[in-house]
Amino acid sequence: MKFSIKLVLSTIIVLALALGFSGFYFVNYVFETSLEREVGQALDESSILSFAFETAALNVPLKYSVLPDSVVEEIASKLEMGGRSESRLLRIADEEKNVLYTSDGFTADEGLLPQTDQHTKSYRVILAGESYYVHTCVSINALDRILYLETMKDVTGVFTERAMGFSLYRKVTIIMLLTGMVIMLIIASLLTKPIRLLTKATKRMAAGDYAYRAKQISQDELGQLTRDFNGMANALEDNICKLEEEIEAREEFMGAFAHELKTPLTAIIGYADMLRSHKLDEEKSIMSANYIYTEGKRLEAMSFRLLDIIVAKQEEANLQEVPVRELFVYLQEMFAEKKEMDIRFQYEEALVQVEPNLIKTVLVNLVDNACKASESGETARETDGASTGNVGVVEVTGQVVDDGYRVAVKDYGIGIPEEEQHKIVKAFYMVDKSRARSKNGAGLGLALCAEILKIHHSKLQIESKVGEGSCFSFVLPVENGIYEE
Amino acid sequence: MIRILIVDDEKPICDLIDLNLSSAGYHCTAVQDGLQAIDLIEKEEFDLVLLDIMLPGADGYDVMEYIRPLGIPVIFITAKHEVKNRVKGLKLGADDYLVKPFDVVELVARVEAVLRRYNKAEQRLTAGDVTVDVDARRVTRAGRPVELTNKEFGLLLLFMKNKNVALFREILYEKVWEGEYLADSRTLDLHVQRLRKKLGWEHNLVAVYKVGYRLEVQE
Repeated sequence: MKFSIKLVLSTIIVLALALGFSGFYFVNYVFETSLEREVGQALDESSILSFAFETAALNVPLKYSVLPDSVVEEIASKLEMGGRSESRLLRIADEEKNVLYTSDGFTADEGLLPQTDQHTKSYRVILAGESYYVHTCVSINALDRILYLETMKDVTGVFTERAMGFSLYRKVTIIMLLTGMVIMLIIASLLTKPIRLLTKATKRMAAGDYAYRAKQISQDELGQLTRDFNGMANALEDNICKLEEEIEAREEFMGAFAHELKTPLTAIIGYADMLRSHKLDEEKSIMSANYIYTEGKRLEAMSFRLLDIIVAKQEEANLQEVPVRELFVYLQEMFAEKKEMDIRFQYEEALVQVEPNLIKTVLVNLVDNACKASESGETARETDGASTGNVGVVEVTGQVVDDGYRVAVKDYGIGIPEEEQHKIVKAFYMVDKSRARSKNGAGLGLALCAEILKIHHSKLQIESKVGEGSCFSFVLPVENGIYEE
Repeated sequence: MIRILIVDDEKPICDLIDLNLSSAGYHCTAVQDGLQAIDLIEKEEFDLVLLDIMLPGADGYDVMEYIRPLGIPVIFITAKHEVKNRVKGLKLGADDYLVKPFDVVELVARVEAVLRRYNKAEQRLTAGDVTVDVDARRVTRAGRPVELTNKEFGLLLLFMKNKNVALFREILYEKVWEGEYLADSRTLDLHVQRLRKKLGWEHNLVAVYKVGYRLEVQE
């Protein structure tokens, strides 16, 4: 059953009970007061009648010392007629409770007589035929005789009024209940609107519309619930977005990977096919074999780099204190053979918190990239005829900064266009593909660097201008501040 | 001579296509940059362009936009195999789509098919004293017509288009019988023997040990 219907029904039940009880009580109260009044009147009347009887008895001639039955009857019939247009209903009994006189239509039985003695008055309400009567009984003290006077007063009107009251009240109750139901339906529908809106939102969200939000239309607990629900939905949507982004990034990566894989594969398969099906001259055979070899090497480099990235992603941060000198000396040795490049090292001593092998990989990658960029820049500038002053210079600097130790690798090579700068750390991205490939690059170096730096809670920062060179820098965590010897 | 422009940023791939198409009798020019390709198309005339999509300078789609009004047939060569990429390329007006990695025989066949659609293919193939009129489906040896069955004709075409190339049994099966290669089937050998006999090619159609057959002709 719907909540609003439940609400309406329960309200209606309460309303019906309240209306029923109050109606019954009210009508009954009115009835009882009227009946009491009638009874009072009837008793008063019978008192008056008894007084009138006693007065009449005084006028009886003195020849009787005791009131004879015939005189009683006479007085009674006079009393019966006297007064109003309609005759009174009365009955008179003697001391022994034997009936002396009964008016026509007096139908009540003699049940009251035994309860009455000469000092009491008694009454009861009786049903005779279709009419209700107040039946009273009083004693009369006349001429040494004790007589009992009974009267009947018609009170059917009071009962009819009660019945009418009940029937009227029933009608009023039904009308009230119907009106109440309609009003309650409207109220319940208004009250449960937030619930319906919430339900709708839940369904929409379940159907995949994560951006849908429930409208908050009240400030009460339901409004609070709506607010909280929307808050939860926001949090969920954020998470879903993040997940989707992650999936997208992964798909992008897989796509790029597949693409990068296909090119060397095509070459290897194609040349191998040529070697096995064509009669090639020596020059072509060597060329084909060479292509197979270099493209195979490319695949190999790519798979190693990919492995590195996967390993770096899973690597636990096992940071140790390493003197900066160790890193720079290693770099100097690594690039000592690169005579054509002018690599300048300049660094402050410090102890950094790093995983030395990983950080060495980053440094080698960055310096290697800088060398490649410089070579390309050199050729570009030679053709442009521009000055080649700084070209071929790679500056590797290390200095202590506020939040750690900053290492920067600066070259004066081709530079990176601004719009491509944020893309270059993505796997397989190459600013100049054909040149990068000719140098056996797979476009994975910077992606690897970014992963490694993530382990060190650091980030690769890139400043670059096309034609002027680039500067890659990152900040390493430092233990105990400045290194002291 | 049919002139083909190869646009691919990978030199090894360019060389590979160049070598194969050259040996199939086409004249090839290769460039590795989209802008260079457009320059070249402007200067020289080409019968077909083989176009990579990921190119430095201008990408394959851009180059395609430029080529389309010129009415030069284009075959896209790319590593992107998703349907949407293929549809995009074809919608732009490409004639065919070749996904890396591809078989060299496949490449030659597709080039051939596209050229034939543009009526640019060589109608007449010759090897020694045998001449094949592809459209008329007529084969003559020293001026005298030779009757060939469908399969024999298909086999002959394949050999004529890949002169001096060892054709693998599985490739011959795939192309001529369009079915899977059954290792112990003698059907191919039978057809080759019939061809040798009908064309007098006992010494030209050479069996290559463990590979298949090769048509050897002096050019």
